[in-house]
Amino acid sequence: MSSFLLKRLLQGVVIMAAMSVIVFAGVYAIGNPLDVLIPPEATQDVRERTIARFGLDKSLVEQYFLFISNLLKGDLGLSYIYNEPVLSLIGNRLPATLELVLTAVLGATLIGVPLGIYAGYKPHGFAARAIMAISILGFSVPTFWVGLILILTFAVSLGWLPSGGRGETVEFLGIEWSVLTLNGWSHLVLPAINLALFKLAIMVRLARAGTREVMLSDTVKFARAAGLSEMTILSRHVLKLISIPIVTVFGLELASTLAFAVVTETIFSWPGVGKLIIDSIKNLDRPVMVAYLILTAGLFVTINLCVDIAYALLDPRLRRGRAE
Amino acid sequence: MSGASPTTSDAPILEVSDLTTQFHTRAGVVKAVDGVSFSLHKGEIIGLVGESGSGKSVTGFSLIGLVDPPGRVVSGSVKLDGQELVGLSPAALRKVRGARIAMVFQDPMMTLNPVLTIGQQMQLALNAHEKLSKSAARARSTDALTRVGIPDAEARLDAYPHQFSGGMRQRVAIAIALLHGTRVIVADEPTTALDVSIQAQILSEMRELAREMGTALVWISHDLSTVSALADRILVMYAGRIVEEGPTAQVLRAPRHPYTAGLLRSLPAMAEPGTDLEQIPGTTPSLLNLPQGCPFRPRCDRATDLCSEAPPMTPETGRGYRCHHPLLDGTPA
Ligand SMILES: Nc1ncnc2c1ncn2[C@@H]1O[C@H](COP(=O)(O)OP(=O)(O)O)[C@@H](O)[C@H]1O
Ligand code: SF4
Ligand SMILES: [Mg+2]
Repeated sequence: MSSFLLKRLLQGVVIMAAMSVIVFAGVYAIGNPLDVLIPPEATQDVRERTIARFGLDKSLVEQYFLFISNLLKGDLGLSYIYNEPVLSLIGNRLPATLELVLTAVLGATLIGVPLGIYAGYKPHGFAARAIMAISILGFSVPTFWVGLILILTFAVSLGWLPSGGRGETVEFLGIEWSVLTLNGWSHLVLPAINLALFKLAIMVRLARAGTREVMLSDTVKFARAAGLSEMTILSRHVLKLISIPIVTVFGLELASTLAFAVVTETIFSWPGVGKLIIDSIKNLDRPVMVAYLILTAGLFVTINLCVDIAYALLDPRLRRGRAE
Repeated sequence: MSGASPTTSDAPILEVSDLTTQFHTRAGVVKAVDGVSFSLHKGEIIGLVGESGSGKSVTGFSLIGLVDPPGRVVSGSVKLDGQELVGLSPAALRKVRGARIAMVFQDPMMTLNPVLTIGQQMQLALNAHEKLSKSAARARSTDALTRVGIPDAEARLDAYPHQFSGGMRQRVAIAIALLHGTRVIVADEPTTALDVSIQAQILSEMRELAREMGTALVWISHDLSTVSALADRILVMYAGRIVEEGPTAQVLRAPRHPYTAGLLRSLPAMAEPGTDLEQIPGTTPSLLNLPQGCPFRPRCDRATDLCSEAPPMTPETGRGYRCHHPLLDGTPA
């Protein structure tokens, strides 16, 4: 188990190193940041001082190693636009994205998996067909359109819920959270549903397919022959047997939604990292782009590692067992 | 038909009469079990043999009320200790299964849950019928594992199925079936997936266990030689029907039904030295559209016009067969 983890950790380090080169080279190739940094009417003197200050006079390789050595010290540089450390810029917006995404993905899983298990258990019933119809809808309708419809219905027509922003927040562990206030929840609920719909559809399908397969297996036959109730069979045997693909998709969805919640954040003016990265691309704010992409890669590597650990915990065959 | 085995007492523990199970499919009605009757006494071992597809597994599932849809027990009776099981509600059947009649299957790698420990699976099976504390459940499970010959049972409770060998895994499955002092066990090809030497070991252990605990067994196998080493009585199944039954020694020595005789001739151990093994010509008929009359007719070398009428069961003392032209003593097999 620990050698397996060490191997995965090393793989993660290699991936991160490769990512940093690709990201740095890729972002360097985009546009000329001098147009953003230096007003056209600036003197030659100001020009040269600015170029030196941001290290833009050095070669690409020198800039890369400077960036890496700073990165290892925890310094991701200054934003060209806000003139603020990139890390605090992203850090200030991360909790908003985090709470939105966690609510959406957790909610989708906690609701989707039981619905999927039910649909897989009674695949020909009316309820199962209704669940599957909704999941097809969740797959096929574009997120931005659902977002607009949600706003039109619940914010504009009915006026039940606000259409944007985070609402009241409460400080906890030095960070502002909306999930801790009722008003915050009223702001969170629509964007969370918007984000969750697609994931709910995936979870329903995964759980349904897994349940259908497991229900036909000899494991379930044997459990029934031993007199276990259907509820025990579903909650103890089936849930555990279908959990591996669910954990995988949970991890992937969590990572990709954290990185790419842009559309929903934009529609609901949710002040998360999605908006920040869109602005930084528009403004050629290289340090923010680079930091964001590197952090995202780090996020994927970390979540994949957690998924691997969860595998080993869920499936004893992946642990090194004492063989007989 | 009863009282032939030395170990049986009078009232049968399981009494099956005219059991009929059908699958209503798009292609038609599959008569998988067609009027099966037999009785099983305390501590008795019955061997149910027949080629694959003859309806043995469906018979087993019919006994415990677990026939997969679209299959259904359409008529007949299964009496366990005098209680009728056919027509019982699902909840009532669940209480019977595992407690008074249990079933084990061919491949324990497929039947045991790979992601739960043996102890967890045994506890689930225990809690299905009794409220037990965790430690009481462990003690009971340890006992059951020890009884089927698993060494160091207490420690093995925390192991997972893949940490056991094939033979040990099947012992675990048998231990689970025995947890509640179950009096009838239906074993569907339980040793087919195992090595021959381990098969023999498990067979002799099961025989002993059945004697010791008074557990009665219905041992299903496509292999007549496995069953002959274990069973007190043999039922030969063909196309959903019992075509011959009797005490093991009699059936082996003097088969009445041409199909049984054919099965015997195809066994290496039974053949005359120096002669070729014979296979029964043809294949098992589809149970979807059986020929009129005796279903064995297309493959039978003794068939006559009379065989277009289905032969009834002919009872002899402790014996029975369905054939118009049986091989009687003295007839060359
Ligand atoms: N789920 C099912 N649907 C339709 N027919 C089935 C089903 N299960 C079994 N049968 C039919 O029942 C017959 C007997 O099957 P089975 O009892 O498994 O045979 P055996 O165990 O003797 O090999 C098979 O020939 C098959 O046609
Ligand atoms: S009844 Fe006729 S066809 Fe059937 S087994 Fe006997 S002899 Fe053969
Ligand atoms: Mg079978």
